[in-house]
Amino acid sequence: CHFPSVKIAAGAVVCVESEIRGDVTIGPRTVVHPKARIIAEAGPIVIGEGNLIEEQALIINGYPENITPESEVEPKTMTIGMNNVFEVGCVSQALKIGDNNVIESKADVGRNVILTSGCIIGAFCQVNTCEVIPENTVIYGSGCMRRVQTERPQPQTLQLDFLMKILPNYHHLKKTVKASHNAS
Amino acid sequence: MASLLQPDRVVYLVRGEKKIRAPLSQLYFCRYCSELRSLECVSHEVDSHYCPSCLENMPSAEAKLKKNRCANCFDCPCCMHTLSTRATNIPAPLPDDPTKTAMKKAYYLACGFCRWTSRDVGMADKSVASGGWQEPENPHTQRINKLIEYYQQLAHREKQDRDRKKMARRRQCMPLAFSQHTIHVVEKYGLGTRLQRQRPGAPISSLSGLSLKEGEEQKDITIEPAPALDEVEPLPEDCYSRPISLPEVTTLRQRLLQPDFQPAGASQLHPRHKHLLMKRSLRCRKCEHNLIFAHPIPSKRESQVLLTLTNPVENITHVTLAPCEDDDPDDINSTAKVVVPGKQLVLAGKDAAAEYDELAEPQDFQDDPDVVAFRKSNKIGFFIKVIPQKEEDADVTVSFKIRHDFRNLAAPVRPSEEGGAAAAPAPAESIWLTHHVELRLGPLAP
Repeated sequence: CHFPSVKIAAGAVVCVESEIRGDVTIGPRTVVHPKARIIAEAGPIVIGEGNLIEEQALIINGYPENITPESEVEPKTMTIGMNNVFEVGCVSQALKIGDNNVIESKADVGRNVILTSGCIIGAFCQVNTCEVIPENTVIYGSGCMRRVQTERPQPQTLQLDFLMKILPNYHHLKKTVKASHNAS
Repeated sequence: MASLLQPDRVVYLVRGEKKIRAPLSQLYFCRYCSELRSLECVSHEVDSHYCPSCLENMPSAEAKLKKNRCANCFDCPCCMHTLSTRATNIPAPLPDDPTKTAMKKAYYLACGFCRWTSRDVGMADKSVASGGWQEPENPHTQRINKLIEYYQQLAHREKQDRDRKKMARRRQCMPLAFSQHTIHVVEKYGLGTRLQRQRPGAPISSLSGLSLKEGEEQKDITIEPAPALDEVEPLPEDCYSRPISLPEVTTLRQRLLQPDFQPAGASQLHPRHKHLLMKRSLRCRKCEHNLIFAHPIPSKRESQVLLTLTNPVENITHVTLAPCEDDDPDDINSTAKVVVPGKQLVLAGKDAAAEYDELAEPQDFQDDPDVVAFRKSNKIGFFIKVIPQKEEDADVTVSFKIRHDFRNLAAPVRPSEEGGAAAAPAPAESIWLTHHVELRLGPLAP
């Protein structure tokens, strides 16, 4: 059995003030701001490349409705793809997130939602339906109106480069741990 | 303060044409009558038009010409937010050397809220940052213009007939005066009395200024009535069976915001120029002077029995509170008795520099600790006693009168009686104002 630990790939920038618990894998070029929380309670979390997780964002693979089941439930892995943006204060429990999605500030994505790619969940929108959100969907407004946009949101390459340069100047970073143990 | 949280807790009585009770944040104060005024006691006049996003002011005539829309700003047709212009770099062949490509800037409109872009409806990116965007032409423009011309001519003719009748009755009056008098009637169909010519390529729609000049001979314009069709285009066969793709259908609101086209498909939704808002000026009906906005005298924020008074003027204000008399006609809402401090309360003046002045001397007011809870620069907190009259009261309300002195610094200078050069302005006199105040304190604790 392996000890659940946080595996941070080389090239990722993860600030020490962020809280990461459980079996979490973070891919290269991902930036995790201070005060972000990634909690793998009911299963592991795998985060891909080029993601941007801002302050006070909460990515949690938790038990549904916070009830710890007494019998052993098979742990489900939460997968997050590439180039996603989790803006300040958002909460994401979606088990499967594709690429190039944007979850805006204070949005709340439930566990049974599956984001494909290019989806934008607008600020303060709460999406806790049981569905697969089609590609390039924008959910916005107080009534969670939807529309389809013609082009997917651009990956935040400029912002990521800037942060990877600047954040180490002001914060200590968590040490990178390779997923596979190599004797070097 | 009162305007953001719990606005209806403290209301003031305004004695206008109707008796209105409103919170202080919604009231105005007329300096000349020295009375409180509410929105219903003042007359609103349109001051000017402005665009809410670029804040461009324009005179009413120009606004009318542009159909009350801003020339530079656009609204998102999807969520009615303001559109912003974004730039991208596009490789484009240089005009001199077609083999090389250089980065040129291309601009498109995008909405920050719903992520709509001008590329969604097929509008090509423009090479200029502003002024390149055209509103689509209304296909019915010509017909509408012709109808307007016809009706303007009709109105002109009616006006002339009316003038002629009036002149026949009273011959000694000047005919010009009557034309002036009936100008409001002409405006019924007119879009202005200036002659406007359509400028080619004008970004504003072509339904602008058609006019008639006084006394100009117009040829008779005839219009054909709209033709009635016998056969109407039938609905498509799969109208009932075809599955609807909701993202492609426009909502009613989106559709009706563009009455010219009313597009049913989302790919036809073009942005419109932003609607202008009006700046109102308020005029006190009694004295016909323009009001200043919201010059509050005491403003109150209350907790259970602790009330605060804030003094916004720079001189010392004296405040006396008095309970309402038993047979006060204004006292209709109170459900509890109130015991107010009998002594006069003194409020220090507002000193904007006080917070920066570290060596400020502490204010030396002899405060009765039973009455005054705290004092801080120009604020004072004091106690009143509330005695509920009913056993179970869902909303305890008390009312009392507050009387304070007010020095009108902006009153017009009265001319000196001696005449002569440079009379010193008479010192502004203090007057005493009394207001009727009601406080809603909320439910009684069980």
